[in-house]
Amino acid sequence: MKLRLSTGPHLLDRENTQTLMLDVLIALVPTTAAGIYLFGTKAAWVLAVAVVSAILCEYLFQKLTKRPVRVMDLSAVVTGLILGLNLPAEAPLWMPAIGSAIAIILVKELFGGIGHNFMNPALLARGVLLASWPARMSVYYIPARVLGVTEVVPAGTDVISAATPLIRPGGYQLYDLLLGNIPGTIGEVCKIAILIGFLYMLFVGTIKWHIPVLFVGTVAAMTWIMGGDPLRAVLSGGLLFGAVFMATDYVTNPMLKVGQVIFAIGCGILVGVIRMTKAYPEGVTYAILLMNILTPLIDRWTSRRVYGMVKKHA
Amino acid sequence: MNLSFKGGIHPLRELHEGKGKTSSLPIQDLVPEKVCIPVDMHIGAPSAPCVKKGDLVKMGQVIATPVGGIGIPVHASVSGEVISVGPRQMLGKAASTCIEIANDGKDEWAELYPLGSAESAPVDKIVQQVKDAGICGLGGACFPSHIKMMIPDGKSVDTIILNGAECETFLTADHRLMLEEPDRILKGLRVIMRAMNVFFGVVAIENNKPDAIKTMKEAAQGMEGVRVAVLKTKYPQGGEKQLIDAVTKRQVPSGGLPIDAKVVVFNVGTAAAIADAVIEGKPLISRITTVTGAVNTPCNLRIRIGTSFQAAIDAAGGCAEEPGKIFAGGSMTGLCISSTEVSLTKANNGIVVLNQKDAVKQQATPCIRCGRCIDACPSRLNPQYLNVLNEQADLVGMKKHNVMDCTVCGSCSYRCPAKIELSASFKEAKEKITARRV
Repeated sequence: MKLRLSTGPHLLDRENTQTLMLDVLIALVPTTAAGIYLFGTKAAWVLAVAVVSAILCEYLFQKLTKRPVRVMDLSAVVTGLILGLNLPAEAPLWMPAIGSAIAIILVKELFGGIGHNFMNPALLARGVLLASWPARMSVYYIPARVLGVTEVVPAGTDVISAATPLIRPGGYQLYDLLLGNIPGTIGEVCKIAILIGFLYMLFVGTIKWHIPVLFVGTVAAMTWIMGGDPLRAVLSGGLLFGAVFMATDYVTNPMLKVGQVIFAIGCGILVGVIRMTKAYPEGVTYAILLMNILTPLIDRWTSRRVYGMVKKHA
Repeated sequence: MNLSFKGGIHPLRELHEGKGKTSSLPIQDLVPEKVCIPVDMHIGAPSAPCVKKGDLVKMGQVIATPVGGIGIPVHASVSGEVISVGPRQMLGKAASTCIEIANDGKDEWAELYPLGSAESAPVDKIVQQVKDAGICGLGGACFPSHIKMMIPDGKSVDTIILNGAECETFLTADHRLMLEEPDRILKGLRVIMRAMNVFFGVVAIENNKPDAIKTMKEAAQGMEGVRVAVLKTKYPQGGEKQLIDAVTKRQVPSGGLPIDAKVVVFNVGTAAAIADAVIEGKPLISRITTVTGAVNTPCNLRIRIGTSFQAAIDAAGGCAEEPGKIFAGGSMTGLCISSTEVSLTKANNGIVVLNQKDAVKQQATPCIRCGRCIDACPSRLNPQYLNVLNEQADLVGMKKHNVMDCTVCGSCSYRCPAKIELSASFKEAKEKITARRV
């Protein structure tokens, strides 16, 4: 009888990196489905290319550099899918492929693989694509189909490029903003789907509410102070998608709750400032990336009270 | 609202903390054919054997006398003949001196010297009686109880807490004791309160044991200064520091003792042993232990000190599958044994057998900074950052970031999705820091 010896705990939680990533993927199902429904098969192709190339890039890089192959942890699938959801449905298929390569190889693997990237891979890839091909990345198309009943979108039209709600505020009905009958990237338009994913992740404990709620709340508050419509500001652009699925990336936000509060409010303020100065039509990408860079500093400057840091009674 | 503390986890929630198999089973007596009693069960210097091979001993007779300031005597847990006195490999790293006694089956007690009832025993003699009975903390730490009962100059105590939380997984020994023998526990509490001149006594129980809460509340009805506190089911609720925080809202200062928060904590089993020692004069020769996991008939046993693990596992019908790991205690902090020939000591509240599959080590993957360890840590440390420092072998940095306040409860490791052995590495770091005086 050979008994194994070790220090406790001897039985561990069932949760592991793979199950966490799987939960994020499950949370992305409504958004993915809505995106494909609204924008049609073109969107499905963009997403498929993004996911497959993310997996391939990770597998090949790890094989070539003789590192343990960690494709099965599903983190590359999450990165690829989130990147795809960040692209317009009309993007040529080389764009998701290049984007995934940037995300996986440049941002993730070259810095040491999972857990070591200092910026969100999908988001930085989107930033690079945005800077490299601004025309292709910032022309958005009206969804091919609509959810619910709406007057805005002409039925039967194939592709029409149009101004996003951020450029033409007040041009869309609130329920169109909510359901996704607006121009935008594949994943950002259907807010209902994003909220379902958010609630799922809260319910199973993948993420906590602080970052998304404080991020979105700060943007709403800033808009209100500046005399805008906070509800429209929240439902426009990539704010909700970014706050729920990208700002919450474990690796690139602070460890302690107090740090996460600073991070979320910082993201919100940056989005507010960028949107107000109209420097870009969309500030969410750059806001989160900037706060990603500040994360190590926030971690360094925040702490919490350790148990027992009290005066002796007697 | 149930009382609790910040941090912590709920281990094996889907398995009722692993307690379901034994929580409804009454305590059974296990009388072994022989016992092998180590003389170093307690914290403090090992006691000196005072019997030799061939001696006939009675149950409760002193077989090793205390050495040094905090030592306690060791008693024969059966009557019979001493077969051997010598070193044996036990749970500790080095071999322990052990006294082996063949049980003659007569259970003949040595002469006993009771002090009187819980309310009449002379206060000035109680502490000595507890020492002479060889009583140490039965929650697992085995710290000599009489030391805890002596309040050092300049300190004061206003509350005694009896720990009935039993937050460790799998264990139901304290649960069964509270259900079956509440009066022994409460008499012990009254003895302690009288000896220490303290007016408040609290029996603290987790709310996953509603039957024990009810029983203890009924038994405590009308007792002066005694109440039952209901705790949230959360590990490590029974950790001394967490327990004090939950019950009194005070924190034990870093590097201090519970007495610095004007509290002294005893396990419910210890209180029952103290009652036996004072009221009946009986020294500590048995304890309750839960035998569960991959055994055929999981059970709660009242074992004699020095019974072998093998005898206890046999009493539980033997292993149901080829065992992969056996540990003394629950799955969070239990100590692994390499051979079932080692003895059960005063510290052993349980034996858990894991099958081969459950014993497999889970391969660690890179940290993804999810923060679960930070939420889990009851000492409010940052295990994620301590792990970074540990990978850099930065003991100075670890000390600066309060690794010495780590209680090695295992909560961080339990929750870690990357399966990194956080608490085990902190334990090692703490030992190095102490040894090298970093």
